[in-house]
Amino acid sequence: MKKTTELKKSFVAAAQVVGAEVIDCKNLQEAVAYLAEQVDGPLLCPSFASGERAGLAEKLVAAGVTLVAEDFRQQAPHAKWGVTGVNFAMADTGSLALESTAEDIRLATTLPEIHFALLDPEKILADSLDAVEPMRQLHQRDPRNYIAYITGPSRTADIERVLTIGVHGPKQLHILLVPKLSSDPLEM
Amino acid sequence: MNKQRNKDYRQRIDQALATPKLQDALHKFGDAYLVSRGNAFANYDFEAMRSEISAMKTDVRENHAALLQQFISNAEAAGATVYLAKTAEDANNYIAELAKQKGAKLAVKSKSMASEETHLNVALEKAGTRALETDLGEWIIQLAGQRPSHMVMPAIHMFKEDVAELFSKQTGQQEKAEIKHLVEVARQQLRQGYLDAEIGITGANIAVAETGGIALVTNEGNARLASTLPKVHVVLVGIEKLVPTLEDATKVIRILPKNATGQPLTSYVTWIRGAVPCAGEEKELHIVLLDNGRSTLAESPHCQDALNCIRCGACANVCPVYQTVGGHVFGHIYIGAIGIILTAFYHGLENAAEIVRACIGCRSCVAICPSKIDLEEIILSLRETIGEEEGIGTGKDIVFRKVMRNRKLFHGLLRAASVMQKPVTRGERSIRHLPLFFSSLTEWRTLPAVADKPLRDLILQQPQKVAKPRYRVAFFGGCANDFLYPELGLDLVTVMNALDVEVYYPLEQNCCGVPALYSGDKETAIELAKQNIDAMLEGNPDFVLTTCPTCTMALQRDFVEHLKDNPAWAAKAEALAEITVDAAGFIVNQLGAAELFKELATAEKVTYHDSCHLKRGAGVWKEPRQLIETSGFELVEMDHADRCCGFGGSYSLTSHPDIAKMILKDKLNDIAESGASCVAMDCPGCMMQIRGGLEKQGSGVRAQHTIELLAEALKNQT
Repeated sequence: MKKTTELKKSFVAAAQVVGAEVIDCKNLQEAVAYLAEQVDGPLLCPSFASGERAGLAEKLVAAGVTLVAEDFRQQAPHAKWGVTGVNFAMADTGSLALESTAEDIRLATTLPEIHFALLDPEKILADSLDAVEPMRQLHQRDPRNYIAYITGPSRTADIERVLTIGVHGPKQLHILLVPKLSSDPLEM
Repeated sequence: MNKQRNKDYRQRIDQALATPKLQDALHKFGDAYLVSRGNAFANYDFEAMRSEISAMKTDVRENHAALLQQFISNAEAAGATVYLAKTAEDANNYIAELAKQKGAKLAVKSKSMASEETHLNVALEKAGTRALETDLGEWIIQLAGQRPSHMVMPAIHMFKEDVAELFSKQTGQQEKAEIKHLVEVARQQLRQGYLDAEIGITGANIAVAETGGIALVTNEGNARLASTLPKVHVVLVGIEKLVPTLEDATKVIRILPKNATGQPLTSYVTWIRGAVPCAGEEKELHIVLLDNGRSTLAESPHCQDALNCIRCGACANVCPVYQTVGGHVFGHIYIGAIGIILTAFYHGLENAAEIVRACIGCRSCVAICPSKIDLEEIILSLRETIGEEEGIGTGKDIVFRKVMRNRKLFHGLLRAASVMQKPVTRGERSIRHLPLFFSSLTEWRTLPAVADKPLRDLILQQPQKVAKPRYRVAFFGGCANDFLYPELGLDLVTVMNALDVEVYYPLEQNCCGVPALYSGDKETAIELAKQNIDAMLEGNPDFVLTTCPTCTMALQRDFVEHLKDNPAWAAKAEALAEITVDAAGFIVNQLGAAELFKELATAEKVTYHDSCHLKRGAGVWKEPRQLIETSGFELVEMDHADRCCGFGGSYSLTSHPDIAKMILKDKLNDIAESGASCVAMDCPGCMMQIRGGLEKQGSGVRAQHTIELLAEALKNQT
């Protein structure tokens, strides 16, 4: 337990340094309330295991959020918001790992301006070397993979080396820490 | 030498030097980079990390065939089509043919140096497919019709005003020169491209044999879009990007962004294995493995380590030459130190022939390389190859082969010069002006006059005052100490005698051979190595002392390397290397005698300049500082203390005086800003450069060898 607390602390610090917003939620309901407050239009909400189990979509609809749950190829280019889960996180760099082989996960995390990621703090690993084991398991479990390590919002320094946030990917990354969502790094 | 090629190259240098804004930007970047890099590695052991990368990549090179086969079968099993392209043309044809087959009008690209290497865009245009660069920097230079001037930051040579002008042409309206706005323009302009393109083309930072997957290390998110939206994904990747396992890939990812831009990690690391879902179907994934000279490079015993490169670009970030002229001069497609080597193998020796001489040999790249590549040594070996192919120039040829190899003739000429120079020295120790076509040599620094009497004559007249010597050491003076600064050698004798060390000067010693080696004449360097080994070992000394770190490197490293396969000489070269040590290191480490000088000096603010070969060659930088401080000087650190002074031997005299002059200017600014009235160093070459620059400026700051300061302090001994 102590270890989780420490990892969480360093994860939050590292994620904030790279410009991610980190919101510590008591439970899923609090996360849903946050989303309802932030989102002001269609939210891309692809299916993922821990979200399905917790009834995320239903809770969001109940909170008044309009969801895009299908036809992502058509919808995603116009959507401003996307929400996904997280497979695991890495404390040293404040990074998230998303098993994004399902195309909808990719569309919901590459095209919108704002990406919300729901992370169970129990899934925070120390660093990318600790992540090799779940990475290997994911590669053994699935025949094909598209796995993304995401560290803060999209950025560039290509003009005069001035760090500028939000080029092609999301301009904002909000990490919502939600306990009891999933402790399995192999599932999102 | 090819005259037109050389003329074009000189022109590019002049152009770059006439753009102070570029130099300013690259200097600022260099400074900021070191700060963020320092932070990024704060909790990591860089030396241990890079040793691991180096060992892993060497292992990959040695087992390349098996690993490549493993990668290919795993990638194919996951639904990828893998194509092994022998040449750039081969790779381009494959991709252009694929684009034709798909009837592709548009291909979106994320940043790929491999595609720059093959000029893929040109091939695609010919096939009727427009290639759209989506990396911001790449898009900027695509619009400008240029090539990258840095491997990680391709448009680092451009300014927001230039970008605003390019973007305005693109959008048809006046875009303001504000970076945030320009980035937004790029986002808007390029977004539709991902949706329209039939093909997405990316490079890859890593290819993992264990999985058959690739990894992309990016910041902007464009590679994720380019690999997700179009139905066909083409990965163009050099075969050297292979690593065995996910652990190895992770190690690369841990070190790469930290060393490239000082980021702990990039915004995105994307691991793609196989034909993933795409619009309800399977994505068509083509992996084009590019050889294009890599197998030849792997076979080159002197250069093969260059394949260990993970393309972080750090060798350019810290290079004083790069900071002075930029990547359009100091590079071809690949830039900086690694660029010189890759150009020779991927784009032909001809394209590397000029830039291979542009390296000043300061080894700052070697110190920062995450794969521990000895870039300088490889560059020297290429210089030798080019020297053999094209000749090293008639003048140098005569000097090295006919004069230097014959010590008596060489030294006889130097003695004659001390007499013949009288009209220009006017009896002074420095030459302030040279007549006619030599005048440019003394425009920005004075040159030392050849001494009336060389050290080898004077030292015989200096009585040694050591009753019971702890050691008997042979002194290797080197040409500068012997003929330009004999007083430095005499000071060394004074200092050593005070430490109960007896010094003798073997008269058969000759030039250390580095000038010949740096000019590409290895044969002369080897001949001189043999002469010096015999000369220095003859009196059976306890140690061989040097006051010039370039000579130190020759005796400690080069002689051994030159003669390692020669059974008659290898052991002798090793023996000499074993006992060779620089003077400051000798006093501190072998004698443990820094305290002897305690508080002897007259208080003065002294700043210290690290000579490249002393710090990054011999690993000595603490010792002289300790001696200076202990002896009672007030040591104040200048900025960039270990940045090259721009001397580089013939680099500043004949090959690149215009670049050397700018590097010296930076050094003089740092010295002035330190507020010191004396700058200390441990290299006669640096003394020539820095003292010459200070004198020409009319500065009151004096430039002294640490040994001279110690001798000075001893005079206060009561």
